[in-house]
Amino acid sequence: MSEGVSDLGRFSDPGLFVLMSLAAGEKHGYAIMEDIEEVCRVKLGPGTLYGAIARLESRELIEPVLSEGRRKPYRLTAAGEAALTGRLKELESFTRVGLGRLATA
Amino acid sequence: MNGLSRWMVRLYPREWRERYEEEFLEMLEERTVSFPGCLDIALGALDAWMRPQIVSSGGMTRMLERLRWSVLGVLWGWVLFVLAGVGFQKMTEYDDFVQVAQRNFLVRSAFDAIVAGAWLSFAAILIGGLPIVFVALKSAFTQRRREVMLLFLVPPLSLGAFVGYVLLLTRIVYPAEGRMTIHSSPNIALFSSIVAVFVLAAVASTAAVCRAVTHAAVGENLYRFAFYPAVLAAGAMCVGLISVVVWGVALKVQAPALFGGDGGILATSTAATWLSVVLGMALSTGLAAVAIIRGFSPRAASRTTDT
Repeated sequence: MSEGVSDLGRFSDPGLFVLMSLAAGEKHGYAIMEDIEEVCRVKLGPGTLYGAIARLESRELIEPVLSEGRRKPYRLTAAGEAALTGRLKELESFTRVGLGRLATA
Repeated sequence: MNGLSRWMVRLYPREWRERYEEEFLEMLEERTVSFPGCLDIALGALDAWMRPQIVSSGGMTRMLERLRWSVLGVLWGWVLFVLAGVGFQKMTEYDDFVQVAQRNFLVRSAFDAIVAGAWLSFAAILIGGLPIVFVALKSAFTQRRREVMLLFLVPPLSLGAFVGYVLLLTRIVYPAEGRMTIHSSPNIALFSSIVAVFVLAAVASTAAVCRAVTHAAVGENLYRFAFYPAVLAAGAMCVGLISVVVWGVALKVQAPALFGGDGGILATSTAATWLSVVLGMALSTGLAAVAIIRGFSPRAASRTTDT
């Protein structure tokens, strides 16, 4: 399922950040942007953020939560959770191997 | 830069803006957008043009839109049905028709069924529509959305314009013209203008309300609730349509002279006016039926999501 995130081209990393942010609970665009800045130390531009959101939504990895206000919160779908889990496990394995190689070098 | 960034949202394709513009602008209002931020918006717009397929009408949004289309489709159908019904009412208010209805059970029953269907559909539209209008108005006030509030002013203004126009004709124009024969050109022109203003007011009011509730923050639950009265309204419209058909057939059998005479609107053919009413009601009921059929699908989907 991790292909759902990693094949987003230049939006792969922003897409991963958005999924990561929504793993903590539903958020609207501005809150996602703030959360990513705080947790990932990455400042996403508005165009990039919504490019990622549109791609994730079209792949049904996230979905909007209907609300009464103008802000539209998003949440992870089951497929989004699986994609995020798969991608994080890949990164975990990648990190482990990399750190192992550095330790033995 | 925020003014520029807000303007730059217009660079995005229409489909993208319909889906994301509101929340995107909301986000831009909450932070200062730098020059690189504006550049990022321009690149985002370019990306949206190059890959229009990324704009998703996604699960719940698609469901809400279809449900809203369904409910508003029934509203449009009902308004068109009312316009046709007003024509029927106008034709049958004369003594000839009243007397036939008093003498004949089938004509009277069909007429009563039409009236009952009209009141039932009106009640259903109120029950389903008022909560939506209330929430839309409330959210427009709390969010200070002038454009939505202005749209809600269209129905009272339209009504005022129609009443004002009728008063102008009845108090000033008709007395000034003196006695006119029913088929005289001025009389036909004035009557046609009243009909035109009435239709225009009804269509403008409906379009404004539909646009207002579409742009206001009205949640899925209200549309799901409104779907039940919408089904009831569509059913009542079906009853009204069948009753008008029965009424016409019964009139043709029981009072052939009246049916074949010139008891229609502006002393035109009764049969032609009746057929026009039937056609108008059939089209509007058909629209409502299509809207209901489309609405059943998202309701099924939302029940699945709930469980």
